Amino acid sequence: LFPGVRQAQWLTKTKLVEGLPPAVQGVVDNPALGLQELEERAKHAVSHARLWDTAEVAPKREQYCPVLFENLIHICRLMSGKYPSLSKRMLARNCRIAATWERESILLQVRGLSGILLNSLTPIPPVASKEEILATKEHVLETFYPIAPTIDLQEVNVYKELNDTGQCFRDGYPYSHPHTLFFLECANVRTDRFRPEQLRAKMLMFAFGSALAKAKALHGNDPKVLEQPVVVQSIGTDGQLFQFMVFQLNTTDLVSNDGVKNLVWIDSDQNLYEKAQCVPEVRKRVVTKPAGISGFQPDTFKKFLALYLHGTV
Amino acid sequence: MAALGARRLLRPGRRWFSESVPSAPSPPASPLYPPVVASVTAKSKAAKSRRLQRFTQRVHAAATVEEKLRLYGKLQRPKYMVYPQTFALNADRWYRSFTKTVLVPGMPPRAAAAKPTVAAAGATPEAGRAPGPGAEAPAAADAPGAAKVPETAKSSEPAAGAAPYLNIGELRSLVCDALLQESFYQKKKRPFLYRDQDHTPGPFLTQLVSTLAASLSSRNPLLAASSLDLNPEVNYYWHHGEEVVVHGYRKGRVDPVRFQIDDNPHLQIRVPKQLPEVVPLESDLGDVPVIDHKPSQLPLFKKQYENKVFIGSKVADPCCYGHTQFHLLPDKLKRERFIRERREDQIEVVYRSNGIASLFAWTAAQAMYQGFWSEADVTRPFVSQAVVTDGKYFAFFCYQLNTLALTAETTKNNPRKNICWGTDSKPLYDVVEDGNVKGFNDEVLLQLVRFLLNRPKEL
Repeated sequence: LFPGVRQAQWLTKTKLVEGLPPAVQGVVDNPALGLQELEERAKHAVSHARLWDTAEVAPKREQYCPVLFENLIHICRLMSGKYPSLSKRMLARNCRIAATWERESILLQVRGLSGILLNSLTPIPPVASKEEILATKEHVLETFYPIAPTIDLQEVNVYKELNDTGQCFRDGYPYSHPHTLFFLECANVRTDRFRPEQLRAKMLMFAFGSALAKAKALHGNDPKVLEQPVVVQSIGTDGQLFQFMVFQLNTTDLVSNDGVKNLVWIDSDQNLYEKAQCVPEVRKRVVTKPAGISGFQPDTFKKFLALYLHGTV
Repeated sequence: MAALGARRLLRPGRRWFSESVPSAPSPPASPLYPPVVASVTAKSKAAKSRRLQRFTQRVHAAATVEEKLRLYGKLQRPKYMVYPQTFALNADRWYRSFTKTVLVPGMPPRAAAAKPTVAAAGATPEAGRAPGPGAEAPAAADAPGAAKVPETAKSSEPAAGAAPYLNIGELRSLVCDALLQESFYQKKKRPFLYRDQDHTPGPFLTQLVSTLAASLSSRNPLLAASSLDLNPEVNYYWHHGEEVVVHGYRKGRVDPVRFQIDDNPHLQIRVPKQLPEVVPLESDLGDVPVIDHKPSQLPLFKKQYENKVFIGSKVADPCCYGHTQFHLLPDKLKRERFIRERREDQIEVVYRSNGIASLFAWTAAQAMYQGFWSEADVTRPFVSQAVVTDGKYFAFFCYQLNTLALTAETTKNNPRKNICWGTDSKPLYDVVEDGNVKGFNDEVLLQLVRFLLNRPKEL
């Protein structure tokens, strides 16, 4: 109904920056990574997921979306041959996120199955510099008067305020820093899937939730401006379109509307490929569209890999 | 002939007995009558063999592999469904007889492969050996509590690879982390009824294989080009032996016995290059069990449906050879059940039958993807590996496919047999409590690492 990201921004006291942060962009442009050879493998990964994975003619989205994600993650993980510190990561599936916070006297809570979470041993260093963080003080959050900012949110009686470090892991877990959250929109029917705008809002809320829970675990429950901002990344896809997001939590003081704001960099609607033709299209005995993947964009995969490598490279 | 006779009558001066055959034209280029062969449509044995011959010619002449596979499995008839994970008693003997496989206990000897052997912890690297590539040494030194391990290759190292240090401590910590995350640290709901395997061992196996494969990919360039499938489908359809149709409108006819394996391994790794052969193609390492009963006595049941041959992805995929499969035994076949029913000997049978059937189906399907089939037997052996586990106990299998010719006619003069090497199941750890893994077994980990490091000799 409503442009979701703007609402999510208000709820999480965040300033939006278009495009990826310069640190990640630097990883993308780094020639030492050898991203050219990986293009071929990425193309094979896409072809495998979209064309070759099933004994039937064409796989459905419920099948190809997770397979595509697994293939891309497999290619990214194989880079740990070059960067051994990449092996200090663990993938956790089906984890539940929970975080609560107050926003101008409204108690908000984020709960739910967040999809797939990548944890790492070491946290991601802050992406924005101190000046940028202070500059957000000037930024004014847009309000949607007369629409209340909590529109379309479910009102629930909360008896226990849960702050489960967002990851439902016990203490002493070595890989305690959330690195990246992955969201896969796999439903076959288009109405069951989130639209890109809503997906971005969902990504923002969950990234904020896990960052907040981590910050509270590290620095305690008092609202304050964080010395070491917590950075959590997020990638959402429906099998073809990718949304990339880097969220930096600068403050847990969310009650007031002024002061330092959180930052989010969003790179939205990146197509990995244009079309995947399973059977060649033939009009009047002439093949008009051959079978295969057309319009492959290597940049999208490079961004995916850059977000994966961010923090260790 | 009629013309010749007429010419004789017309020319009476010619002598009768000097037959002038040469005036006839030279023997015609093609025979005047078509060859005398059996009919195609008659109800006779000769017609049946002629139809079979036409079918084999059609398959031989097929242009693409997809066309060959389509013709091979075109005719649908009731066939036995062979389940790799089965509770049937002594199923591995039956499966060996269906697939003409010889079971050799233990792992195949790896003579010339550069497998680093692990000395005891605390051994110092030999002074004379050149250290590994620069990136290896600092990385190994960074890992906490790492035990530096010298490599003692039995044969000369290929010039490309320097001495690789296999850091068992680091790999062990990776495995323990994966195990602890799945079983201890991550808060999960209680497992669903009879779905214990999906709750902890399944995710643990996925994590284990993906992290181990990633960290070993620097040593094994084949892994770096591999493709990992989660929950793929592997199917194979073949004929073996003959039987007489018991009832129905085809009663009394002699039919081949048809089998189909439909398998879903938990995880599999496919690679673009084939694994090297373990023993030469014509080796004979044992006997194939002969079973006098019908397959339905196992128990095995017949159904008629699509004849699929599939390795996990279609023919167009460049990663068309198999490397390793990982199978997870379901709750129905867990050890405690067998011990409760006082059938301890069947525990190993479960692992073996799973290994043999799944690997036969996979290697045979790989061979069919390369164009071989029962009438065109393989010219090189196809090798694949598998790990069968129930979360704690691991059994390792290596399969070499030497022959696809299992039908009644082709198997008569075929001395080749398929070979399967297999180990018994051993536990990886004893118990997990309080965030510690107790009783970790390094041998199992080493065997797993050896499996993942397997690669062709050129690489």
